[in-house]
Amino acid sequence: MSARDEILARIRAGLRGANAPPAVGSPAVGAPDGLDSPAERVAAFSRNLTAAGGHLRVVRGAEQAAIALGELVAQAGARTIALSDSPLVGRLSAQLDGPELIDATDRAGLLEADLGASGVQHAIAETGTLVLETRSERNRLVSLLPPRHVAVLHADDILATLGDALAAVDPGGTGAASRAVTFISGPSRTADIELVLVVGVHGPRELSVILIDPRHEPPTP
Amino acid sequence: MSTLRPEDFRSNASEALRDDVLRGALRKATDLFGSQRGAAVAQMPAWEALRERASAIKAEALATLDVQLERFEERARANGIEVRWARDAAEASEQVAAIAARLGRPTIVKGKSMTTEEIRLNEHLEREGHQPVETDLGEWIVQLAGETPSHIIAPAIHKTKGQIGELFAERLGIPRTEDERELTRAARNALRESFATAELGVTGANFAVAETGSILLIENEGNIRLATSMPRVLVSIVGIEKVIPRLADLQVFLRLLPRSGTGQRLTSYQSLLSGPRAGPDDDGPEEMIVILLDNGRSTLLGDDELRESLACIRCGACLNSCPVYREIGGHAYGSVYAGPIGSVITPGLQGLEKTSDLPFASSLCGACRDVCPVKIDLPRLLSRLRAEAVEGVGASPGLGAPPPRRLERAAFALWSWLAADSGRWRLAIGAARLAQRVGLDSLAPPARAWRTGRELRPLAARSFRDLWRTNGEDRQ
Repeated sequence: MSARDEILARIRAGLRGANAPPAVGSPAVGAPDGLDSPAERVAAFSRNLTAAGGHLRVVRGAEQAAIALGELVAQAGARTIALSDSPLVGRLSAQLDGPELIDATDRAGLLEADLGASGVQHAIAETGTLVLETRSERNRLVSLLPPRHVAVLHADDILATLGDALAAVDPGGTGAASRAVTFISGPSRTADIELVLVVGVHGPRELSVILIDPRHEPPTP
Repeated sequence: MSTLRPEDFRSNASEALRDDVLRGALRKATDLFGSQRGAAVAQMPAWEALRERASAIKAEALATLDVQLERFEERARANGIEVRWARDAAEASEQVAAIAARLGRPTIVKGKSMTTEEIRLNEHLEREGHQPVETDLGEWIVQLAGETPSHIIAPAIHKTKGQIGELFAERLGIPRTEDERELTRAARNALRESFATAELGVTGANFAVAETGSILLIENEGNIRLATSMPRVLVSIVGIEKVIPRLADLQVFLRLLPRSGTGQRLTSYQSLLSGPRAGPDDDGPEEMIVILLDNGRSTLLGDDELRESLACIRCGACLNSCPVYREIGGHAYGSVYAGPIGSVITPGLQGLEKTSDLPFASSLCGACRDVCPVKIDLPRLLSRLRAEAVEGVGASPGLGAPPPRRLERAAFALWSWLAADSGRWRLAIGAARLAQRVGLDSLAPPARAWRTGRELRPLAARSFRDLWRTNGEDRQ
């Protein structure tokens, strides 16, 4: 008997007489309330992203987003920037003056890059999480290998809860589903040496989100 | 590799109790995780409802495990994942070794996985001439030191930064330092070289989703993202109990697991993997293989009581809350699965023959049951295994025959004989009073051994019965 058939036979023999009712009802237990309006979702996302150790810059449009990206690059003193193949990221980085731009296909370049820039497919207000899907963008290594990750997010893509995000990525839905969906909440971290938190072990030590929110009202000076 | 055995639990535990450095580190770690967990749970008003829900989902998944696994297999294959099955540790390790052999002498990068520790995959790969590299910082430290992990989520909590500094100076040739940041940076640099050349990634998984044929991996460091994204081939070894029915169920476990483990709202990264790269323009492995591992799990499943232990999501909360684990740490258990859950799973997977001391490594205080995010009734399962250990015969065929505890059986038989008759009982208490007056140190060796570390409260000079009679007479 093959290993598969033998294991399944053992399971069936072991379960003879066992029964458990299916876990009925919604699994959205513990999901936060009060995230119905876009403004509430933006506020909760911002709060939770910051609590998770991410940085946030809110802008009203693409033009300001490009400026914000330039400032982040300058602040970091980044000389080489790795870019995902997102058209938005392409447009924003076109205005960068100075740094060398590296393609997401250039693995050797990615290993040396100072900063990686990608888009974001969804975000989760409940947890301050970015959701990156591979069906929309080549984002897996750009968001991971360089020591800084800058992610560009549209306010409309902020969902309320984890359950909403799972429904949105739906890898079982069609053949065109994402092969990898990455949920990111803050920078890479470890506490494996005497439980002292160190940020930036294998992944980026800095996560910055440029949030494009046309409804954003800049504080009056 | 220095590997302790479960049959030596008593001497392992005594050894651990003499290690002040270890005990200091354990106290610090378990206190920290415990208080962070408490704070996170306090901020989640629906905590009890979440636990109920998680417990129900796991019960459903286990009661329909054959259906869930077939569904997972079908969906995963449709996504281009190669699904294999392994009856036991040897079969799983051989499959990984065969894949490695096909790739020549690849650099193998590993994500932290209790399941691969359970099957001793690294030892097998090394015997076959391969060099798997652990990439979780704690696991890597433990591997460099030739040791084994001592905590599910913090594998190297038994080591001080001084020891790690020395280890890195010796093995990496860096200047000796005790700065956590510098040590972490040194590890990042060393492991980046492995990732850059890795052709084979090996991981476990936290969950397998039947509905979509996906696996989910949870972490904070990013090494699992690297191990699942960079190598040409990815192999994930997944215990058959990890499957859950629906993708939407994940939200329940994502709200429970990080809070229970480290007190985080969510860990830094979750990777939901549903297949190899879609084409040459994609990142990720060209080949993705999932090995579904039994290795004793179907035996546990066939036991109506112990089945519950397969619901464990490996958060570590029961370890942190356990007054025994907090004193002796993970190594003493002689198994990758330590603490209360380990004392159930290890006998469950290996049989009671060599592990029958483990169910006794508990005060049955119930702290583990109170913190368990999937509501496993650990004290009940430990009591059940204790009964079997004392009876000397496994009630379920899979558990084997532990060495009989004749003395304990005899002691309880004697107690039950004495307590069943008031005349015998009075006689026994009278004898005990006499023994007390003579001095307890003169007790026979087995009773003296029981007395070590326990306080025997002295018997009152007069019994309640005696007082009742006297006072009754006074009243009349």
